[in-house]
Amino acid sequence: MIDVQNVSKQYQLSNKQKKELQTNDTSVFAVNKVSLTCQPGRVFSLLGANGAGKTTTLRMISTILKPTEGDIIVGGESILNNPEKVRSKIGFLTGSTNLYDRLTPGEIVKYFADLHGMDKQKFEHRKQLLFDQLNINDFAKKRISQLSTGMKQKVSIARSMIHDPAIVIFDEPTSGLDVITAHSIIELIKQCRQEGKTIIFSSHIMSEVDLLCDDLAIISKGKLIYNNTMTNFRNEFSHQSLTEAFIEIVNTSTNAAIVHQA
Amino acid sequence: MNTVFTVLKKELTDTLRDKRTLLSAIILPAIVIPLLIFGVTKLQKSLMDKAGEKPLRIALIGVPATYQNTFNDSKYKLQQNLTVATGKDAIQKDSLDAVVEFQPDFLTKVNDMKSGEVKLYFKSTNLLLYSRIAEKLDSLKAELLKGRIQQLKISEQALTPLVISKQDIASPKEQIGKLVGGFLPYIFILFCFIGCMYPAIDLITGEKEKGTMETLLTVPASRFKILVGKIIAISLVGLCAATMTILGMVTALKLLPDIPKEFLGVLNDMLSLKFVAMLYCMLIPLSIFFAGMLSAMVISAKSFKEAQSMVTPMTFVIIIPAILATIPGIELNWQTSFIPVLNIALATKEIIAGTINIWQYAVVVISLIVLALVTAFFSYKQFSKESMVLK
Repeated sequence: MIDVQNVSKQYQLSNKQKKELQTNDTSVFAVNKVSLTCQPGRVFSLLGANGAGKTTTLRMISTILKPTEGDIIVGGESILNNPEKVRSKIGFLTGSTNLYDRLTPGEIVKYFADLHGMDKQKFEHRKQLLFDQLNINDFAKKRISQLSTGMKQKVSIARSMIHDPAIVIFDEPTSGLDVITAHSIIELIKQCRQEGKTIIFSSHIMSEVDLLCDDLAIISKGKLIYNNTMTNFRNEFSHQSLTEAFIEIVNTSTNAAIVHQA
Repeated sequence: MNTVFTVLKKELTDTLRDKRTLLSAIILPAIVIPLLIFGVTKLQKSLMDKAGEKPLRIALIGVPATYQNTFNDSKYKLQQNLTVATGKDAIQKDSLDAVVEFQPDFLTKVNDMKSGEVKLYFKSTNLLLYSRIAEKLDSLKAELLKGRIQQLKISEQALTPLVISKQDIASPKEQIGKLVGGFLPYIFILFCFIGCMYPAIDLITGEKEKGTMETLLTVPASRFKILVGKIIAISLVGLCAATMTILGMVTALKLLPDIPKEFLGVLNDMLSLKFVAMLYCMLIPLSIFFAGMLSAMVISAKSFKEAQSMVTPMTFVIIIPAILATIPGIELNWQTSFIPVLNIALATKEIIAGTINIWQYAVVVISLIVLALVTAFFSYKQFSKESMVLK
């Protein structure tokens, strides 16, 4: 489970940034008092326009960033008190296919398994499982620089899932991918849900959200403006498509925030 | 420790597959430096030989008949019918090498036991020319002097009231060490720094630029251990570059023809266990110092290009103290043993010469270790900042 408790992330602005943003404020909130809960066996979708605060929230959940206020409990551990324990429970995947160009898929997956302290037997078993499932075996010994974007994203998935994490964080996992690779990622998310994992993902592709989502939250300008189950959302906006409903929620939100809490 | 080793293993695999690192850390010092030394020395020797054998085209003006035969030698081609003006013009046009002008009163002055003047017109850019002509004029001078001694009926010793008899008690090792010992550290310090430079940019800024840093920070390992693994990998590449430079230079110098026996002895000493152990006790903290310093610098860079423009000027900062060590008169003492880079260069010079003060050496090693730890700690402080490690 992921329990985000009244979390904020505030950045101090330099004089240059103040000029660029044309503001006299000394700081800016990337995320402002956000609270939400992701349950095991459910897919939680985090929506928002670019710069809304989705990635900052996901980075705080994965302990890359420290909140300036509030706490997040991930799998029973606080990100402030036990960040290393939190990291041992999560798998983090972004859509930008960040890999080491001079290594092979096999080497990358082994590197991350070693950093997670996996024993050899468990590693071999998980590697085989993931490489078979994602069809990586054909290019397992090629260097990353020789692979296509789709192949790289498959390796990214294997890298994030090698230690069999109970909590999986996907930050726009299918962005820029071809239909076949995107489909395999969607299938993987579904499988993770079946296995009882806690899944949180952000996406701009509404069809994916519609297909996968059990719970939904919308962030705008760092604030949570909508948080509900997908069933309630569908009932509430039955006359509109997901995209139309999303735009309406974002447009009607004010600084006071219209938060629909489940 | 497992995390450090895991990161180190991966970083070494990754970085040793990088062509730029291979070029700066292995190929350049191991192949190019020896080739340069070997090639330049060979070329210099062949040019000198050629210049020494080439007949000099000279014009003799106002030469008294008595000394007409002075330049009668196959090494000189005498040009006739030239004046000083036309001779100077010919030198400018490279159709003549020199004009030797005996002043009109030369013979009178010489006969009157005075100094006769000979003017030599030449281009100083003409290799070996002055010494080749001076050789002939010196023998003429000696001949004239001998005539005067006989004429005055005095002994040669009467004209040489003092003879300096040099008794150099410095061993050949010390002489060579002090004279050329500063050049070796200058080269290996430079290559150690360059060797650290590319891996530092690649493993820190490169990882940040590509976005792999973000995923690396989601593993259950402390940032400290990740950074330690990276710093060790960077310093190992720097150390490898320094080692390849030393081996390359020693091998090239040993292969040089006509190398003096004493010099060869010094080179053999440099491969002794004692020299290697003493050198590496300084080189290891030096490479960690470079790795820590470069890591701390490149963490704030957002791209490879930006990092490169940040660290390239540092090369000059490193070179200056290394060059200072090659200047005669700058010695290792209690003050210089605390100055980074200069201290290792001076200490290496002293070790080669066999005159190292062991306590000053200890200060050099300890100060380098302290400096390495301080820069590594500073680097960790930078690495802990969110704004530094994310794009």
